[in-house]
Amino acid sequence: MDMNPQQIQDRAREIQERIVPQIEEARRNLVDLNTRTISFIRANPGTCLIGAVAMGFLIGKLASRR
Amino acid sequence: MANYENTQSNGSQSSTGEAGFGHRVDQIGSDAAHLWGNARSAVTDLGQTLDLKGRVDRNPYGMVAAALGVGYVLGGGLFTPLTARIIKLGVRLAALPFVKDELVGMAEAALQGYQAGVGQGGQGGQGGTGKIS
Repeated sequence: MDMNPQQIQDRAREIQERIVPQIEEARRNLVDLNTRTISFIRANPGTCLIGAVAMGFLIGKLASRR
Repeated sequence: MANYENTQSNGSQSSTGEAGFGHRVDQIGSDAAHLWGNARSAVTDLGQTLDLKGRVDRNPYGMVAAALGVGYVLGGGLFTPLTARIIKLGVRLAALPFVKDELVGMAEAALQGYQAGVGQGGQGGQGGTGKIS
C-alpha cells in the first residue's frame, strides 16, 4: 500500500482529470438552469410573483404555528 | 265603458312601469360598465406606478425574493423563532468578510513575526558561533 511521490502525483492527476470535466458539466448545467429560470420569470412575472407570495404565506403560516 | 277606461289606464301604467324598469336596467348596466372601466384603469395606473414588469425584468430573483418576504410577513411569520434564526444567519454571513480580513491580517502578522524571530535567531546563533569559534 506504500506509494512513492510519483505514484501519488499520478493518482492526483488522474483524479483531477476525472473530476474537472464533471465540475465543468455541473457548472454548465447550473448556468443553463439559471438562464431558463430567469427567462421563465421574465415571461411570467405575475404568476411568479403571486406564486412567491403564496409560498411565503405558507412558510409564514407554518413558522407561526410551531 | 268604465271597464274600457280602466283597461286603458291599466295598460298605460304597465307600459310605463316596463319602460322604467328597462331604463333602470340600462342604467345599472351602464354604471357597471363604468365601474369596470374605472377599476381597470386603476389597476393599470397602479401597475404603471409600481412598474412591476420593469422591476422583474431588471432584477428577477430580487423581486421573487421580495414577494416571498411579503407573503411570509402576511402569513404571520415575522415574530417567530425562524425569523430570529434567519436574521442571525444573515448577520453572521454579513460579518464573515470582516472576520476573514481580521484573520488574514492576524495570520500575516504572526507569519512576519515568526520569520523575523527566525531571522534574528539565525543571526544570533551565527554571531554566537562566530564568537565561540
